[in-house]
Amino acid sequence: MTIKQAEHFLPLKPQWFHILLALAGEEQHGYGIMQEVLERTMGKVRLWPATLYGSLKRMIEAELIEESSKRPRPELDDARRRYYRLTLLGRQVLDQECERLQGLVQAIHTKRRLVTE
Amino acid sequence: MKRSQRVYERLAQAFPHEFKLAHGDEMLQTGEAVLAHLAKRRGWSGMARLVADAAVRLPLEYLTEMRRDLRYAMRALIKSPGYALVGILSMGLAIGLTTNVYSSNWAKLTRPMQGVEHASRLVMAEKPVSYFYVESYREQKSVFAGVAAFQTGVPFNVRLPGEEDGKQQRIFGQLVSPDYFQVMGVDAERGRVLSPAMDRAGEAATTVISDKFWRTRLGSRADAVGLDLRVNGQPVTIVGIAPRGFEGAFAAESAAELFVPVTAPAAVAPELANDVLHRRYAREFLALAFLAPGVTPVQAESVLDGVTRRLDANDPSVPPQTDKARRVTLLPAGTRVPIPPELKRALEGFFVVLMGIVIVIACMNLGIMLMVRGANRRKEFAIRMSIGASRFRLARQLMSEGMLLSLLGGLLGFGLAYLLNVLNTQLHQAVDMPVPPVVSIDWRAAVFAFVAALVCGVGLSVAPALRATKSELTPALKEGSAMQLPGHRWFGLRNLAMAVQLSGSLMLLLITGFVLMGFARGYQVQTNFDPKTMAMASIDPVRDGETPERALDLFAKIPQRLKDSGKFSSIALTTLPPFATVDDDDSEQLTVDDPQAAQRVQQPAIKESVGAGYFAALEEPMLSGREFNDADERSLMEPATGNATRTLPVVINETAAKKLFGSTNAIGKHLKEGSRGYEVVGVVHDLQSGMGIKQAIAYVALSRDDIVRPPAAGITILARTRAGFDGAAAVRDVVSSLDPKLVPFHVETLSDQLAMSRREVQSAMRTYGGIGAFGLILSAIGLAGVTAYAVAQRKREIGIRMALGANKGQVLRLVLREGIVLIAVGTLLGSAGAMVVSKALEAATSAIADALALGTNDPRLLIGAPALLAALALVACYVPARAAVRIDPLKALRTE
Repeated sequence: MTIKQAEHFLPLKPQWFHILLALAGEEQHGYGIMQEVLERTMGKVRLWPATLYGSLKRMIEAELIEESSKRPRPELDDARRRYYRLTLLGRQVLDQECERLQGLVQAIHTKRRLVTE
Repeated sequence: MKRSQRVYERLAQAFPHEFKLAHGDEMLQTGEAVLAHLAKRRGWSGMARLVADAAVRLPLEYLTEMRRDLRYAMRALIKSPGYALVGILSMGLAIGLTTNVYSSNWAKLTRPMQGVEHASRLVMAEKPVSYFYVESYREQKSVFAGVAAFQTGVPFNVRLPGEEDGKQQRIFGQLVSPDYFQVMGVDAERGRVLSPAMDRAGEAATTVISDKFWRTRLGSRADAVGLDLRVNGQPVTIVGIAPRGFEGAFAAESAAELFVPVTAPAAVAPELANDVLHRRYAREFLALAFLAPGVTPVQAESVLDGVTRRLDANDPSVPPQTDKARRVTLLPAGTRVPIPPELKRALEGFFVVLMGIVIVIACMNLGIMLMVRGANRRKEFAIRMSIGASRFRLARQLMSEGMLLSLLGGLLGFGLAYLLNVLNTQLHQAVDMPVPPVVSIDWRAAVFAFVAALVCGVGLSVAPALRATKSELTPALKEGSAMQLPGHRWFGLRNLAMAVQLSGSLMLLLITGFVLMGFARGYQVQTNFDPKTMAMASIDPVRDGETPERALDLFAKIPQRLKDSGKFSSIALTTLPPFATVDDDDSEQLTVDDPQAAQRVQQPAIKESVGAGYFAALEEPMLSGREFNDADERSLMEPATGNATRTLPVVINETAAKKLFGSTNAIGKHLKEGSRGYEVVGVVHDLQSGMGIKQAIAYVALSRDDIVRPPAAGITILARTRAGFDGAAAVRDVVSSLDPKLVPFHVETLSDQLAMSRREVQSAMRTYGGIGAFGLILSAIGLAGVTAYAVAQRKREIGIRMALGANKGQVLRLVLREGIVLIAVGTLLGSAGAMVVSKALEAATSAIADALALGTNDPRLLIGAPALLAALALVACYVPARAAVRIDPLKALRTE
C-alpha cells in the first residue's frame, strides 16, 4: 500500500471537510455528524443521508476516517449505529485544508483593505 | 409522509449490497429520524429533497461498485491469460470482421455523395432517355426543383497544358447539361461551375475539373482556372474546380474527373455528334433530378411515369404497349451507387444474416467459456459466499468479467477492422480501380457490433453466473468443479449452446463456401486456346483527334497491316473485350418477328458489336450458320443511306437461341429490336462471362456508328499470335506506325486481362474465406472448452471407473461420446440451416444469386465442409479427452 499524501486530497470536497470537522472533536455516528454540521452552520448545511453515508464509505476507503470500537454507555447505545473517528491522515488533511482556507481568508482581507484604502 | 418514507425505504434497499452491509441500517434509521424532523418543519419539499438525494446517489454507488468489479475482473483475467486471450480474440475477431465487411463492401457504396448538400433529395431515372425527355421532365416544377441530364463514364483524350507534344491521357468524365451543378447544389471550389447562362451552344468549349484532376494532373497549380486543355484534340478552357471529394453523380462506376457541358462542340465529344441533343428519341442521357421540398420519390416517380408515357406514345420505335408496368424507375442518386430500395434491403439482409451468424457464434463461444470458467471456480465462489458475499455479488463479478472481455474484444475489433481496411485499400490499389478506396470505418456498423457484443457479453454471462453461484455450499467447498448440478444433462444450457454454435459455424462455412465456389467457378473462363497468345490493344481514333472518315479508313487498314506483318494468325475487332461481364441493365429487348407466330416471344439480350472473324480468332466454332465476314463489315461501314429498314445480320448465342426459338432452327429467322430488323445468320456457343453468368447475347456486326462514336472501352483489336511472342507490343507498334497520333490503351494479353478480373474474385475470396475460417476456429475453441469442462466435471466418476478397472480406451470413448453426438446434431442442423438460408438469400438478392446457385450444387462443399468441421471438432474434443485418460484415480478419489 502506498503511503497517501495529505496534499493529494486538497482542496477538500465541502461535505468531506464538514465531516472531518465534525469528527475533529469527538467520535461520532452518522446521525450525530449530520446534527453537528447542521448546528454549526446554523441550519445552512444539511448532509442528506445518502450523501452522508456515501461520503463516509469513500472516506473510510481513503483512510481519512475509521470505525471506532469504543461505544457509549449501553443505555445510550444503539446497536445499529457505527462510530467513526479521524485517522492520522484524516487529521493531517483537515489541518492542511484549514491552513489553505485560512490563507484564502487572509488573501481576502488583504484585498479588501486595499480596496477600502 | 408515509409514502415518502416508503419510497425512501425502497431506495435505501436498492443500494448495492456492500453499501447496505456497512451503512444500510443506519441510513434507514437516520432517514426516518430526518423525515420525522423535516415533515414538521419543512413539509413535503424537505421530504422530496431527502428522496431525491437517495435517488441521485443510488446510480453513483452502483458506478463505484462497477468500477471496483471491473478492476477485480481485470485482475482475474490477468491471472488466467489463456482464457482471457481466447475470449478477447473471439470477440475481437467477430467485431472486427463485422465492422470491416460492412464498412468495405456496403457502406462505401451507400455513403452520401461528398460535396452535395441535400443528397437525400437527389434522384435519377434508371433508364436513359433523350435530352428532349429531360427538358420535358424539367417542366414538372411541382415535383422537381431542377432536372439535369448527364452521361457518365465518357472517355476524353486529354493533353495537359505545357505538354503539347507529350502523350495524351485517357481520362473519364461526364457530359452534363449546363444546369447540372445547380441541380446538385454543388458550388465551385475555385472559379465557377457550369451555368446555362454562360455555357451556351456555339461558344468556346469549357469544362469544370474535379479536385483530384487539379491535384494529381495539374499539380495543384494556382493558375489552373483559365488554362486551356486539349480534349480530343480541341481546345477547352477550365472554368472551375469542383469541391474536394465530388466525383459526379453515379460515381461508383467511374469517378468523373472532367465535366464537359453538352453544349460543347461535337468535336470535343463524339457522343454529341449527330445532333443528339435535338433528336427526340436518342435515348442517350440519364436524368438527374432534385426533388421539390416535401415531394417523395414515389410521388415523383408516378408523375414522371405519366410524362414518359405521353412522350412514348409519339415515338414510332416504341411498340404500343398496354402494360401497366412503370416506364420510369427512380433511384436515389445521393449515394455513390444508385441502389434501388428493394435491392438495398436484400443486400443489407445478406450482410445482416452473415454478420449475425458471426456475432452469435462469437457470443456463444464467450457464453460457453464463461460457463466453463464459472464451473471451475465453484470452490472459490463457495468460499466467498461462506464468508458473506451475496449470490448477486458473485454473479455481478462474473458479469463484469464478461463485459470486460467484450469491451476489450471491441477495442481489438476496431483495431482489426481498421487494419483490414487499410490492407484492403492497399490491395485494391494494386488493381486499377476507378474509385479510390476510402479508409474509414462505418460507425453504424461499429456501434452495432459493439453494442451487440456488449449485450451478449453481459447477457450470456448472467445464466452461467447464476448457475455457477447456485450451489450448496458444503459439497461445493468439498468438490469444487466436480460437483454435479441438477438439470438435464443432454438438454442443458451448455449442450444447447454448443449445438447452436456448431450449427452456426457450419452455416457460416457453407454459405461463404457457396458464394466462394460460385465465384471461383464463375470466374473460371474456359478458352479454347492459350490466353497468352491473344494480344489485345484498344484505340479510339475519333477521340485522338481524327475525323470519322480517317478513323474508318484506319480500321480498314489495321487488320490488313497486322496480317501483312506475318506475326499474327487471326485478327478481329470488337467493342467489348471477350469474356467481359456486362450488366443485365444494358440489355435490349429482342422480339421474334414472325407474323405466323401464335404469341409474341420477347427476350432481353446483351448486344455486342464484333467484327468479321471474331469467333475464329477465339477458336469458337459456330453451332450453326456462319459468323460475320468482311462483306458484312464493309457494307455496314458505308454511311446510312436513309434506308433505316435494312435488315442486319445477327449472330446469337445458344442461350438466346433457346429462349427465342426453342428447339427450332434459328438460322434465317427474323428479329426486331425497336424499329431495327435483324436476320439470324449464326448461332454460337455461350461464351462464359467473367461472372459465370449465362446471358442471352446478340452479336451484331461492327458498324460505322461504333467507329464514329466509339464506346467507353474504345475499339479493341484482337490478334492471335504464337506463344512466347510479345504480340501486344507488336500490335501497338503497327498501330503507331500507321498513325503516330493514335494512343493505344489496354495493351495486354487476354491472360493479363483475365488475371485482372480474377483479382477481384480473390479479394472476395479473402473476405468470405476469412469469415468461414473464423467460424471454424471459433467452434473448435468452443468445443474444446466444453469437453474440458465435461472432463473436469466427471473427474471423480472417471477416477472411480478407472479404479474399478476401466481401461483408457473405454474412458476415451465415454468422454468422446457426448462430443460426437453434439457434433452430429450440430452438423445436421447446420447443413439444413445453410440450405434454407442460402435458398432464402438466393430468392432475395440477385446480386449473389448466381454465385449461390452455382455453389449450392457443389458436392465437394456439401460433403467437404461438414466433414472438415466435424474433423476439427473431433480433434477439439480429443485433446481434452486425453486429459481424462491421464487422470490419476487415486488423486481423483482423494478429493472426497
